[in-house]
Amino acid sequence: MITVDGTLSPRRIAWQRRRRAVAHGWADYRRSVPGMIGLVGLLLIVGMAVAAPLLADASQLRAVDSIGNPTWATPSEFPPLGTDNLGRSVWAQFVWGARISLLVGLAATVIAIVLGSIVGILAGYSGRVLAAVLMRITEWFLVIPFLPLAIVLAAVLGPSVRNVILVIGITSWPSTARLVRAQVLTLKERLYVERSRALGASSRYLMTRHILPSVSPLILASLTLTVPVAILSETTLSFLGLGDPTRASWGKMLDEAFSSGALSRGAWWYYLPPGLGIMAVVLSFVLIGQALEEILDPRLRERRA
Amino acid sequence: MKTARRMLAVLGAAAAVLLAVTAAAAADDSDKKVVFSVGITSTNFDTLNPIMGYSAVDFDVWNTQYGTLTNKAAKDFAPIPGLAQSWQVSNGGKTYTYTLRDGLTWSDGTPLTSKDIVFTINRSREEEWQNYSAFTQNLTARAIDDKTVAVTSSIPDPKLPGLGDVYILPEHIWGKLDAKEIVKYPGLDGVGSGPFTTLEFKRGQFVRMKANPSYWAGKRPVDEIVFRIFNNADAMVAALKKGEIDAAHNVPSEAFDGLGTTAGMVAVQGNQGGFDEIAINGGAGLQKPHPALLDRRVRVAMAHAIDRKVLLDRVWLGIGSVAQAVSPSADPAWTPTIPPDEQFDFNLVKANKILDDAGYKDTNGDGIREMPGGGEPLDFSYYVRSESEVAPPVAEFVGGWMKKIGIKITQKPTTADQLTTIIGKGTYDMFHWSWTPYVDPDPQISYFRCNQIATAADPGSYNNDANWCDPVYDALYKQQNVELDRSKRLAIVHRMLTRLHDAASYNVIALTPDLQAYRTDRFTGWLRQPALVGPVIFSNTSPTYASLAPIASSGDGGGGIGTAGIVGIVVAGLAAIGIVGWLLSRRRSADERE
Amino acid sequence: MTFRLVGLKVLGALATLAFVVVFNFFLFRVVDSDPVASLFRGRNLTAQQKVELRSQFGLDGTKLEQFGRYLQQTANLNFGRSYTSNEPVMKEIASRAWPTIALVGVSTLLSTVFGVLIGIAAAWKRGSATDYSATGLTMATYAMPDFWLGMLLLTTLAVSLGLFPVGGISDPSSDATGFAKLLDQAHHMFLPALTLTIAYLGEYALVMRSSLLDTMREDYLTLARAKGLRDVVVRNRHAVPNAILPVVTLIAINFGFVLSGAIAVETIFSWPGLGLLTYDALRGPDLPLLQGLFLVFSASVIFFNLVADLLYAYLDPRVRTG
Repeated sequence: MITVDGTLSPRRIAWQRRRRAVAHGWADYRRSVPGMIGLVGLLLIVGMAVAAPLLADASQLRAVDSIGNPTWATPSEFPPLGTDNLGRSVWAQFVWGARISLLVGLAATVIAIVLGSIVGILAGYSGRVLAAVLMRITEWFLVIPFLPLAIVLAAVLGPSVRNVILVIGITSWPSTARLVRAQVLTLKERLYVERSRALGASSRYLMTRHILPSVSPLILASLTLTVPVAILSETTLSFLGLGDPTRASWGKMLDEAFSSGALSRGAWWYYLPPGLGIMAVVLSFVLIGQALEEILDPRLRERRA
Repeated sequence: MKTARRMLAVLGAAAAVLLAVTAAAAADDSDKKVVFSVGITSTNFDTLNPIMGYSAVDFDVWNTQYGTLTNKAAKDFAPIPGLAQSWQVSNGGKTYTYTLRDGLTWSDGTPLTSKDIVFTINRSREEEWQNYSAFTQNLTARAIDDKTVAVTSSIPDPKLPGLGDVYILPEHIWGKLDAKEIVKYPGLDGVGSGPFTTLEFKRGQFVRMKANPSYWAGKRPVDEIVFRIFNNADAMVAALKKGEIDAAHNVPSEAFDGLGTTAGMVAVQGNQGGFDEIAINGGAGLQKPHPALLDRRVRVAMAHAIDRKVLLDRVWLGIGSVAQAVSPSADPAWTPTIPPDEQFDFNLVKANKILDDAGYKDTNGDGIREMPGGGEPLDFSYYVRSESEVAPPVAEFVGGWMKKIGIKITQKPTTADQLTTIIGKGTYDMFHWSWTPYVDPDPQISYFRCNQIATAADPGSYNNDANWCDPVYDALYKQQNVELDRSKRLAIVHRMLTRLHDAASYNVIALTPDLQAYRTDRFTGWLRQPALVGPVIFSNTSPTYASLAPIASSGDGGGGIGTAGIVGIVVAGLAAIGIVGWLLSRRRSADERE
Repeated sequence: MTFRLVGLKVLGALATLAFVVVFNFFLFRVVDSDPVASLFRGRNLTAQQKVELRSQFGLDGTKLEQFGRYLQQTANLNFGRSYTSNEPVMKEIASRAWPTIALVGVSTLLSTVFGVLIGIAAAWKRGSATDYSATGLTMATYAMPDFWLGMLLLTTLAVSLGLFPVGGISDPSSDATGFAKLLDQAHHMFLPALTLTIAYLGEYALVMRSSLLDTMREDYLTLARAKGLRDVVVRNRHAVPNAILPVVTLIAINFGFVLSGAIAVETIFSWPGLGLLTYDALRGPDLPLLQGLFLVFSASVIFFNLVADLLYAYLDPRVRTG
C-alpha cells in the first residue's frame, strides 16, 4: 500500500526486505552442493510418487489382478522390478508405496510442527506459570516411549493411514516445542522487541509480527529434520503390522518381504528397493536440513566470503 | 595417552586369543546328551494343561507326556494297547473292562492304578472338561481292582473301545485341585506316564521334555526333545538346513519344494484331514453380523466369488486340494462329496447377478452395493490372523474378489487369542481359520451344534465358531452318536455336513496338509500317521517321538558353537586388533605431522 | 551445583513420573478386552466363579475403585499377574529385561565409541576426504531403518554364510554353563548388536562432529596453538573434552530409551527381550504386563533424563550458576 504522501508503507518495506532475504538465501543455498543434491533427490522422489498412476497401473497392486503374473519373477523376467510371492509387481508397490511414506511423513510432521510451534511460542513468551506448565506437559510427552505408545494406539484406534499420521504427529511435537521455545527466549532479549513493547505493542502483535517470522526459518529447518524421523517411524510401524494393510507402503513391503521368505529366497528386488528408497528420502531431507541450518545460522557460515 | 593406547592394543589381542581358545574348548565340550529338536512357527503353546489348551502344538506335548488307555496304531488309528494291555466287552457293547499293564508307574515313582483312570474319566464328565467332554460325556468308570477298570457308556458309543484321546492324569497331583483350580493349573509339574515328560517351559521360546525312565515300554534312547518356537519361518528353515534343529513343522510352501530336493532332507506333505475355511458369522451367536449376511443369497454370491483353485495355487503353491465341505476326520471317507451342480463355483458374473436380483444395488456409484432400498453399504469386517503365513495373502485375494462384486471388506488384523474372544462375542462378520480334525468324526461334527454356541453368561466358552444353528443338524448328530453301523453312520454324517455346506456360512476352501521336513543324518524311526500320507510329527497321537533313535555315528552334539562360530569370533578378534592398530598408527602420523 | 538446583530437578522428575502413572492406567483401560473370557476359554464358569475371578484380576468395582487399587499396588511395585502366564508381572519383566539391557547396552557402548571417534576425525579434518566419507557414511547409516539393516545382515551373514545363528539368545538344548554359556549367548548377540551399533553410531558421529566444529572456533584453542602445543594435543586435551558435553548428555538420554529401543530388531532376530515381550503382550491384550512394561520404560527414561540434566549441569561450568 502506498501511503498518502507516496512513500512505501512499513508493511510494504517489510515485505520487500523479506523477499530480498529469501532471494539471498536461495542464492546461498544453490551454492551448497549437498543441499542441491538433497533438493534434487527429493524432487525426483516426490515426482515419482505424484506420477505413480502414469508409472504403474494401480491394478498391479492387487493380487486378484496379478493372477496371470509369475510369482517371484526377477527384474529381468518381469521388468522393471520383478514380482513378489503373490505375483504383484514390485515396481508398482515401490512407486505407489512412496506416496504413503511421503504422505505420512509430511502430514505427521505438519501436525507435530504446528502443535510444537504453538506450544513453543506460547511457552517462550508467556509468564512463568503458564510457561512452566506448558514445559512440564512437553516433558511428559517426551518421556513416553514412542514405539510402545504407537503400538498401543494403533491397536486401539485400528490400523489406518490416518491413525498412523495421528500417532506419529502426537508423539513428535515436543522436540519442536523445545527448540522453538529456546529461540523465542533469545529473541525476547532482542532490542527491537524491547522497543516495540516500549512503543506499546501488544503481546499478540509481537508474537505474530516479530517472533513468528524470526522463528520461521528455524521451524523450517526443524521440519526438514523431523520428516525423516516421521518417515522412519511409519516404516517401523508398518513393518510391525500396524499400518494400513490395504495400502502399499515401503514399510509394508519390508514386512511382507520378511514374512514371505524373500530373505532366504534371495529375492533382493523385493527388500532392497524399499530400504534404499527410504534411505534416499531421509538423506535428502537431512541434506536439505543441514544446508538450511548453515544458511540460517550465521555462526555456521565459515567458508563463505 | 600413548601408553594407554598401546596397552589397549595388547589387551585387545589377548582377549581375541583367549576368546578363540575358549571357543575351541567350548566346541570340543559337546554334549553327550541325545537331543531331538523340532522347530515350530506361527502357532504357540497357549497352555500345557490338557483340559484347556487349544493350540495344535500343545497336543504333541500331551501325546508324549500322558499315556492313554488305548493308543492308536500309527498306520490306521485302530485302537491298540496303551496303558491297558487288554479289554473285554460286555453289556451289549456298552461296557468295556480294561486290564492295565503290570508295574505301571508315573514318572515320579507313584504307581499308576485304576484310581487315576476313574479320576480322569469321571471328573472330566462331571466338570465337562473342555477337551475331554466330547469323549467322556457319556462314560462312567468304576475300579474293580488296582489293575482293572470298567468303563460304561450310557448310550451305545461307536468310539469305544478306543479311548486314545483321553489323557490320563495323575490323580495324586490333579486330584487335589478342585473344579476351579484345575482349569487354571498350568500343568508344568512334569509328571506323566508317556515316553517323555516336561522339563522346562519358556513361553514364546521353547518347551523341553526329558525321557521318562518309568515309561512302560522302556526308557527311550533319545534323552531330550526340544520344541523351539521361531517367530519367522525363514529363520526356522535356515536353522533346519544348518542342523540347529532336526525337524520343522509348518514349513512355508515356498521352502517346501526346495527342501524336498535337498540331500539329507525329507519333505513330508502330511494329510490328516486338516482344512482351511472362511467363516461367516452365522447369526445365531451373541451378536448378529451385518444384516446382509443373514440373507443366504448374499452368502451364496460371496461363495461364488472365491476362486479356490487360485487360492490353492498362489497361497499354498498347489500343495493340498480344493475342498467344499468340512473334513471331520483324518479318514477321508467321512467327508461328503458335494455334487458339482451344488458346488459354489467361481463365477463373478453369477455372483453379481444374484446380488442384483436380490436387490442389493450400488445406488451412489461408489462401487459398493447397499442394502435393498439404499440403506447401509455392504461393508464387512474380516479378521486376519497376522501371525499366520497364509491368512494375510488369503485376505488380500478375498478382498479383491469381493470388491469386484461390489462388497467392501475391512481387514482387521488380530491374533489367535483375540480372535477366539471375538468369535465368542460374535462381534465379527468374517474370518479365516483352519482345523485339524481327530480320527473319529464326532468331536469335529459336535462343534456345530446349537448348544455349542457361546452364551452371554460365558462368552469365552464355546466350540461352535460358525455361530450357526440348525435343529435338523442337531437331531442328526444325536442319531449318529449312537449308530454303531459304520455305513449308516457315514450316511448321517454326510447329510449333516452337506447341510452345513449349503448354508454357505462356513466356506471350506481347501484340504491343507501339514508341511514338514526332517533331516536324515541324526535320527531314524520316523512314523507317518496315517501310513503313507500322514505327517510325521504333530499327527493325531504322534507315535514318532516314542520310536525315534539316534543314528550311531552322529558327530557333534548339535549344541555349542561349532566351527563357524570360532571363525566368527576369531574374525571379530582380529578386527578389534586391526581397529586399535589403526588408531595407534593415526596417532603416530599425527605426531609426525607437526 | 546447588542443592536447590538438584532438588528442583528431582521434584520435576517426580512430577513427570506421577503423570505417567496416571496416564498409564487410563491408556490401557481403553483397550477392550475381557481377560476372564480369554483365559478361561471353554470352561463353563458359574456366575459365582466369574465374580470371584473378576475380583482376582482386579476388575471389579467402579473405575474409581480400580484406580485407587492401582495406585496402591503401584506404590508397592505390585503390577499383578500376567494374564497369559499367570506369573507376577515384575518377575516376567525382570527375567526378560537383561537380554535387552545387554544387547542395547553393548550396542550403545560400541556405537558411542566408534561414533565419537568418527565424529572427531571428521570435524578435525573438516572439508577433507576423511570428512566427506565419514559424514557420508554416518548419514547413510542414520538414514536406513535399523531393522532393514538387520534383515540384510541376517541374510548375508547368518543365512548365506552360516557364520551366525539365525535367531534366539542361546541354544535351548545345550546345558552349557558359565563361560561356555556366555560365549554361546555372545555368539547369538553378535548380529543384533552389530545392527544396532551401526544404526546408532550415525547420531553420535554427527552430533560429535557439529559440537566439535562449534568448539573449534573458540578463541582459547587459538591461544593453545599459539603456545606451540601440538595439533593432536590441542584436540584431545582441549577441544574434545569441551565438545563432548552434548554427546555425554545424549548418551545419558539414550540409556533411558535403552529398554524400549529395540523392538523391531528384536523381532528380526527373535531376541527374547522386553521389546518382543511388549509386542507379544499386545496379543490378548495382557493388561497387567503392558501396564508394568510401560511404567518401567517411562520410569527409565525419566530417570536417565534426570541424570543427563544433572550431568550437564555438573560438567558445564556455564550452567552451574543457573
